[in-house]
Amino acid sequence: MKPLDSEQRTSTAAAALEEVSFTYAGGDREALREVRFEVRPGEMVGIMGASGAGKSTLAKCLNRIVPRFEDGSFRGIVRIGGRALDDERVCDVASMVGMVFQDFEAQLFSTSVAHEVAFAMEQIGMPRDEIAARIGPALAAVGLAGFDDRDPTSLSGGEKQRLAIASVLALRPGVVVLDEPTSDLDPEGKAEVFALIHRMRGQGASLVVIEHEAEELRHCDRIVLLREGEIIAHGPPAEIMVQLERLEDCGVHPPDINRVIDALGMHAHAASVEEAEKIIRAHFARTATMIGTTPASAERVSPEPRTDDERAQPFLRVKNLSFAYPYGPRVLDDVTLEIAAGEFVAIIGQNGSGKTTLAKHLVGLLAPSAGRIVIGGRDRATLQPAETAHAVGYVFQNPDHQIFAATVADEVAFGPRNFGLDDAEIARRSEEVLRAVNLTGESDRDPFLLSKGERQRLAVASVLALRPRMLILDEPTTGLDYREQRRMMALVGDLNRGGIAIVMITHTPWLVAEYARRVVLMRKGRVMFDGGVREFFERDELLANSSFRPPEATLLGRRFGFTALRPEELADWIKGRG
Amino acid sequence: MPIYLYIDRGSIVHRLNPTVKVFALFIMFWSVYWVDHPLALLPLGLVMVALVQLTGSWPNFYRLRWLFILLIFFTTLAWMVFYRKGPALINTRIIHLSRASLVFGFGRGLKLAELLATSVLFLSTTKVEEFTAGLQRLGVPYRVGFAITLSFRLVPLFIDSALTVVQAQSLRGYDFNRGGPLERVKRYVPVVIPVFMGALRKANNMAMALEARGFGISATPTSYIDYPIRARDRVAFAALIGLGIVYFLIYYSGWGAISVK
Repeated sequence: MKPLDSEQRTSTAAAALEEVSFTYAGGDREALREVRFEVRPGEMVGIMGASGAGKSTLAKCLNRIVPRFEDGSFRGIVRIGGRALDDERVCDVASMVGMVFQDFEAQLFSTSVAHEVAFAMEQIGMPRDEIAARIGPALAAVGLAGFDDRDPTSLSGGEKQRLAIASVLALRPGVVVLDEPTSDLDPEGKAEVFALIHRMRGQGASLVVIEHEAEELRHCDRIVLLREGEIIAHGPPAEIMVQLERLEDCGVHPPDINRVIDALGMHAHAASVEEAEKIIRAHFARTATMIGTTPASAERVSPEPRTDDERAQPFLRVKNLSFAYPYGPRVLDDVTLEIAAGEFVAIIGQNGSGKTTLAKHLVGLLAPSAGRIVIGGRDRATLQPAETAHAVGYVFQNPDHQIFAATVADEVAFGPRNFGLDDAEIARRSEEVLRAVNLTGESDRDPFLLSKGERQRLAVASVLALRPRMLILDEPTTGLDYREQRRMMALVGDLNRGGIAIVMITHTPWLVAEYARRVVLMRKGRVMFDGGVREFFERDELLANSSFRPPEATLLGRRFGFTALRPEELADWIKGRG
Repeated sequence: MPIYLYIDRGSIVHRLNPTVKVFALFIMFWSVYWVDHPLALLPLGLVMVALVQLTGSWPNFYRLRWLFILLIFFTTLAWMVFYRKGPALINTRIIHLSRASLVFGFGRGLKLAELLATSVLFLSTTKVEEFTAGLQRLGVPYRVGFAITLSFRLVPLFIDSALTVVQAQSLRGYDFNRGGPLERVKRYVPVVIPVFMGALRKANNMAMALEARGFGISATPTSYIDYPIRARDRVAFAALIGLGIVYFLIYYSGWGAISVK
């Protein structure tokens, strides 16, 4: 580990860790190893790293959750505002270090927005007048002015997370720690929260933000990269973002634009798509080559993989499907859709647009209010459970909603056993699907001891064991780090090439760009767009209204007149012209 | 599904001091406790109907109407099996229908229904925060009061997660309704385990978030909302004391009991 220089080791740091090591009770290795970390007043520091690298543990040291709440052995010193903490409890430092967690449902306890903001102030015994005086400004700061009497459960995800931030800000802590605050949010909520974080900068508090999409941390003052409990790099974004291999090695998704610049053989950092365009144009101007300028003349290097032949024999047909809960509003409104065998479709749209409701109809968890669904030539309503399971598999967003067995093998065997398959066939299928999801040799392990990524793959395996011809995946990469996301998507891609149709509900732009071949955009229960991925990314007016932002490689490519789907593709295209 | 029963109507009952409302809950339970006879329970029932009308709580009662009907019906029926007193109109090995068993069973059903109605009425007119404040004022430690009110928030979350788990397992071909009663209970293992594990994780996250916001630093936190005692609270308090005394006297005099000749 690189030592911090003397200028950085001032005692005026807003918060600092000195040689901190921590091992969780029952853990087989140190979660943090002699970590030296500090955040100076007014500074914004980003922390990145793979799952299990120690990001959350580091953050939790700052407000005493480690070691007061989490059991384990702790060594080192934590300083807040220069003062070393001794036997303070978590609640004792609440007014100095505020913390916002990923699970926004679990940090709201009140029945009204105003009460929620008041909560922490009540706990520390603040006088009533002052509490009342602080609620308004705290809500205004997060853009929730006038929400005072709303029930927090009625807010959107982004609003809930902003409310959690307001309740922390009301105490005016010197340091605010945000632990993956946007992981469970849709793109709109994510944008809201990051816009807020950027507004919070320079308003006094020091910020520590944990995030695994490097793009989001581009405007930090400093970035700290963790691997296996150690800080392996730290510095300004311009230094860290160009270390692409190192970022990937740490389970972090490197920014698209840096990947394009790197693939073009340049060593430069771009802080925005505009800047990347300038850098590339300047480079090629020197080498006297011409690159297109008109975004409208979108070129295509590869044809859309979907052919009319595939569309002629749809495996799944949704006709004029509408759905409303009793006494509720319409969730689906006249949806018509056909999906052929072997297709790869991404369903996108804001939370509440009807994506999951549509998917639940396909497996018969919901019955249409109007319209019908035909699978393999038969009306869905006439299919027996075993026939449905053989036609369409559904992998829920959270693998923990289905995992219960004592071993991996039992978990996979659960479905086939329910449908009465014999032991020999179950064993054959278990082996086959565990190989497919790369969990061979793990069959005797306890599923609850697997990593999140492994549990997600186990959930896929246990659905695959029923050999469905189509697989629906609801947000298959939520909560996974970049490496696990890639592994998961490689698996999904393999299944698709093996002939299984994929319907993926997702919010993640690069997953749509790099893996899907067709996009279905939903809004307020209606299908707003249904077509090829490149075609979708060229529909500016549609994108503007959908809160779905294409990946930066696509945005950059369109500035050169080419709708790229991945950074390498764009770099090759530019090279070809140059 | 709305998560709370609270209906924001702003009636005079809504505006009562939370301590008085918690006290009212206690007095209603107290009064119901002392008497068994349906005729003695009837005035309390009428008071409740009047309060439901006054507070505009009908939507909650409409939602729970079957619960009330079934509660009264099955309790009455059940006591015909166990309460084998009085001259029988019908007497089989299972059912003993007499005037006494009918009155007693119906009285028990009414009692349970009134306890439930009191609770629904209370939750329809009291915010969770008011509940905590009311309990605190009556001497219940803040932590205990908060734990009780937090459970109201957790239950809907767990129900939600249980529904998702049931869906996930049924898609894997699981049939929950096979076998005898014991077998059926066992068949819920694939639901209970994920829900329980999820609940543990959720509770852990909540505990962390609570402490991070200063929960536990003081045994007596301040309250953002002031709950002053007004004239109407004094009147309500006096009326409740009166009600409590009257019902104790009804019990003491023996009028509220069911006599079997």
